[in-house]
Amino acid sequence: MEQTIKVGWLFNNMFNLHGDRGNLLAIQAEAKRRGYQVEVTQINLDTETFNPLDFDFLFCPPGEIEHFEAVAAYLEPHRNELMAYIETRPMLVTGTTVALFGETIKRDDQSEIIGLGIIEIEARENHAVYGDDLYYTCQYNGKEMEMIGSQIQMIDLDIKEESPFGRLKYGYGNNGKTKFEGVISGKGIFTNTLGPVLVCNPWLTEEIINLIEVNKTWPVWDEHRDNSLELKSQKSKMVHINKKETRLKRISER
Amino acid sequence: MMKFYFALWLAKLMGIAIKLVSKGRGTNLPGEKALAIDPDFVKHFKNIDYSKVVFITGTNGKSSTTNLVTHILKQNGKKIVSNLEGANLLGGIATSLAKEASLLGKLKADYYIFETDERYLPLIYAQLPAENMLITNLQKDQVQRNGDPDFIIRKLKEVVNPRMTLILNNEEPRSRFFEEIAHRSIYYSVANHAESFTKGGDYPTQACPKCHHDLRFDYYNVDSIGAFACDFCGFASKSTPDYLVTELNFSDKTFKLKDVVFHMPYDLPFMFYNYAGALAVCDALCGITPAAAAGAFENFKNIGGRFEVLTYKNKTIKYMRIKQENPDTLQSALNIMASDKSKKMVALGLYVVNDFVPHYINTFYAFDCDFKPLVDSNVERYLCFSEHVAYDTANRLVYDGVSKEVITIMDSDNISEIFAEIDKAETDNIYLITWISTFEKMKKFIEGGQN
Repeated sequence: MEQTIKVGWLFNNMFNLHGDRGNLLAIQAEAKRRGYQVEVTQINLDTETFNPLDFDFLFCPPGEIEHFEAVAAYLEPHRNELMAYIETRPMLVTGTTVALFGETIKRDDQSEIIGLGIIEIEARENHAVYGDDLYYTCQYNGKEMEMIGSQIQMIDLDIKEESPFGRLKYGYGNNGKTKFEGVISGKGIFTNTLGPVLVCNPWLTEEIINLIEVNKTWPVWDEHRDNSLELKSQKSKMVHINKKETRLKRISER
Repeated sequence: MMKFYFALWLAKLMGIAIKLVSKGRGTNLPGEKALAIDPDFVKHFKNIDYSKVVFITGTNGKSSTTNLVTHILKQNGKKIVSNLEGANLLGGIATSLAKEASLLGKLKADYYIFETDERYLPLIYAQLPAENMLITNLQKDQVQRNGDPDFIIRKLKEVVNPRMTLILNNEEPRSRFFEEIAHRSIYYSVANHAESFTKGGDYPTQACPKCHHDLRFDYYNVDSIGAFACDFCGFASKSTPDYLVTELNFSDKTFKLKDVVFHMPYDLPFMFYNYAGALAVCDALCGITPAAAAGAFENFKNIGGRFEVLTYKNKTIKYMRIKQENPDTLQSALNIMASDKSKKMVALGLYVVNDFVPHYINTFYAFDCDFKPLVDSNVERYLCFSEHVAYDTANRLVYDGVSKEVITIMDSDNISEIFAEIDKAETDNIYLITWISTFEKMKKFIEGGQN
């Protein structure tokens, strides 16, 4: 019988800003390479029964803040299930939507949105947008890796007691003032990285699938993917980053 | 008022001087200098009837629509002030007004047709409170400065008010949202046609701007624009819009609107909405009926259009200009290539985004686009070029099933090397997508004796 990975794609139509579908393609391609079937379920406001624990991987893409309250209301009853889920299972939340999983979001007009409180962060909407490349190191599923991508920052994040997902080598990260990028909580990745992140960094995609294999007590696939294209891309982007003009505070001075 | 007069005279003198130095060159400099002297410069012009002022704004199509409206009205003997030559910011509008005004700042025109940048609309409106506005569409675009569509919607909300008449794209949900605020809304539309398309279920649509639930698109005429409906609240494209382009005939290059047959100057799907929008403005706001407007379509030339053809050796290079960070223009270009089933080479040069510091790498919008019809349309070879971005561009193709063996990756912008790759192609049918400055360099390369 074919082994199936179940993916929950949260609010794919509502949260759809930066080619985020690419992350799903990356997961599907890597799973397929290992001989697994992938079943993607789209979760939206009309989904009557949503149980995070039905899935092996959850992905929540970046969205417009305009829709956050509607989504927070939908997910609030599932808050505890989501917290239990990320203790052992992989979840990827990218871009602006990271703020939705935090405690509060202070909007530019001074109004406030109450987040899900799954991670302990405070978020502030910025008056202006900041877009830039992003380069950092991180560890996931026990593996150290270098990550590259870009970010479109509309919301600054202050992580309180949470652990950062990455340590910046270049970029704005959570708020341009610290060395931190994103948050990791259990197996949940909350990152500002776009790109799409799993396409540009297939080494993270491999680790997510490795973790799914462990969770499902399947043997961990030991034949590595050919990442030469992405490694060349990363190298070329690092050349670009090293020569670029920037007004960001140096990482060493943060 | 002395500040205004001084600013006006300076702008006029500068305008004349610039024209002498570089005939036909558009500039914003006179307007910008005038605004530096009199920050309320645009507000101080006399005799402008704001009910005769039309702003044309939105993400895509505003230049072409402004060009066409101005052309139709001029062909029908109307005196028009427009910013066709200048930019779509306050400085460009100030330049146009200064050029057309008398020495005392008096204006005499039948209509004022201004393309306006959606981001700067509140600043422009504060000095020139137009009572009419056409919104082409509000899409994902230039995310490094705009972030997301809602960022632009908030800008427009500062301007749209109950005194306004809006001309709205019937099949674009975000623009349609503004019908709730305006005094009067007029809807323009394009019927389903031979190049309308659908996308797979794993391509996201968007949220309903009224109730947040998912929108359903029955088909697209242009990416993100087509017959839509929200099954939750009932918000949907209207089945009987005021101005509907029908019977699009690609072989005869004709279409119909209100029973009038029009020549189709450009048979590109994204232009059809511009035709419909322009005809709506001309008829509903300016009294030029579709029958009276039809003649103007026979000799319409779009300034700065997105499609050009070059001849290189025995090859035809079909260039399509896309806007970076804008999936909709990329999807339109992909669809055009895919509709040509003959053997072809596709050269893709997506670039580092360098609008302002920091320059950054963004190809993620390519994942919003469906490459599959292109991949299935008989492509001999792909060339992915441009420094730092070529690998990501190639990877996007790989994710839609293209074998790495048929992709040449060139991590550079070297024009000779690009042509060397084009030389290698067996086919003489070459499609090129890149930014305008590389295209201009390629044009010069051909003109420089390499042809």
